[in-house]
Amino acid sequence: MNRYRWLALPIAAAALAVVPWFTSDTIVQYGINALLVATLAQAWNIIGGFSGYPSFGNSVFYGLGTYGTAIAMAQLHWSFGSGLVFGAVLGVACALLFGIPILRLRGPYFAIATLGLAAVMSAITATVEIAGKNIGLILPLFRGDTLFYELSLILLVAATGTVAWIARSRFGAGLVAIREDEDAAQVMGINTTTYKVAALTVAALFSALAGGIHAYWITFIDPASAFDPSLNVRMVIMTLFGGPGTVLGPVLGALILSAVSEVLASQATGVASLFYGIVIVAAVLLMPKGLLDLVQGFRDSGWRYFVDNVRRYRI
Amino acid sequence: MTPALLEIASLSAGYGEVPVLSGVAMVIRPGEIVTMVGSNGAGKTTLLRAISRVIGARGTLRFDGRDLTALTPEQVFGLGLVQVPEGRQLFDRMTVEDNLRMGTYRRRDDARIQQSFERVYQLFPVLAERRQQIAGSLSGGEQQMCAIARGLMAAPKLLTVDEMSLGLAPVVVDQLLGVLGEIRKQGITVLLVEQDVFAAFSVADRGYVMETGRIVREGAVAELEKDPEVRKAYLGVQ
Repeated sequence: MNRYRWLALPIAAAALAVVPWFTSDTIVQYGINALLVATLAQAWNIIGGFSGYPSFGNSVFYGLGTYGTAIAMAQLHWSFGSGLVFGAVLGVACALLFGIPILRLRGPYFAIATLGLAAVMSAITATVEIAGKNIGLILPLFRGDTLFYELSLILLVAATGTVAWIARSRFGAGLVAIREDEDAAQVMGINTTTYKVAALTVAALFSALAGGIHAYWITFIDPASAFDPSLNVRMVIMTLFGGPGTVLGPVLGALILSAVSEVLASQATGVASLFYGIVIVAAVLLMPKGLLDLVQGFRDSGWRYFVDNVRRYRI
Repeated sequence: MTPALLEIASLSAGYGEVPVLSGVAMVIRPGEIVTMVGSNGAGKTTLLRAISRVIGARGTLRFDGRDLTALTPEQVFGLGLVQVPEGRQLFDRMTVEDNLRMGTYRRRDDARIQQSFERVYQLFPVLAERRQQIAGSLSGGEQQMCAIARGLMAAPKLLTVDEMSLGLAPVVVDQLLGVLGEIRKQGITVLLVEQDVFAAFSVADRGYVMETGRIVREGAVAELEKDPEVRKAYLGVQ
């Protein structure tokens, strides 16, 4: 069985790839959103899950990707491909520019600094002429849900492949060492600042690309939706739900929670967010280490896994 | 006389505007166990931080023939100058074995890492028994062993051990001092920074006494033990 386990992933990806030819437009549109959010969760996983730095600035990288693509296409009349690259360059440049100073901060100080960045970025964008000030930008209309779906899937596969590589690499071991004890990592000869900046930059790259795809798909963007801090909160929740610091956890977490919130929104419109909240609270109480840990733990100790968790974390 | 492994001369360092060390000079030769003693706040840890380039310093700082002042902390580590930090700084949630593996992080000679594991487990049989145990659940003495073992896994030329005896029972300290002797037999030079002067003098060849950022005494431990000032200040005997 284990010998063929690696085959499961390509098969899952291929199965997802053919979805647009067998289902309705609604499902494809839901799929694009879910795949993009899963990519964002996977990107957050690199900085938040592996190196343990709770970034609230990932929505900024997403927003810069959104705006970079939109400016390139709507104002400069570049192609979509060049727009994506331009957005990615903006996101990566921002990660480098802010990462180098703020990644010297630790724990809550880092989180607050990234929150500040998120708050400032939407305000700045709303004053920039070429970004359409606070009105926003309208991109050329292009109807091609299947294309956007496949692009989003490719991006998610690329992000997951990158995380799979990180998890097995020396670089990833360094990030985990930083998460577990940064001082000790330093003593072991790890240049912690370089590693953290590299992790943030890779996260920024995938977040910005996701933003670019979303911008062209949705065709209208404004500062409030592009730099929405609640999007960052969703990345965090989905990663924690699936299992931070794992390869597949964030993807599973994002796809499952997207489905849950979609079903709730259509079946129980009024109380949807209440139910969503209950799901999150139950997850935190019963499986604080995420879905993948639940699978392992349930196999080992059955229902006792939940009791043990509640006891161990004294909730 | 053999060339020095570590050579420090007229070194000054501090934090921001606050100078801590001034005019520090020290020589460590290959195969020696050298100790640096001094009371709390004398500048011992600051000196270690200056050596490992974590803080800036002015003066001469040479290790194994290389000038350290232009190097980054990772490069210094790569030359084989490895620290066992004060308070152990283990990866508490990793197993003993993973902690040791983190010691090999910057090594490229994968083939010889297994050998290092065997040698370290021979030195600390208790770690071999507990290799799958979470490091945070070890006793204080075992944690210190794990920290020293992790340092050894980096294949150091010079191992500096900061406050090894801190918070440990005397019998455990004796055991660790014995291990330092074994480590020296394997060709690794040791710099032991200690407040426990009795313990440090029992294993070291030579010693330095530091007070308020300066070296005030140096020499073979046999001489230092006889020095009336040292006896009065650190050994508490007349």
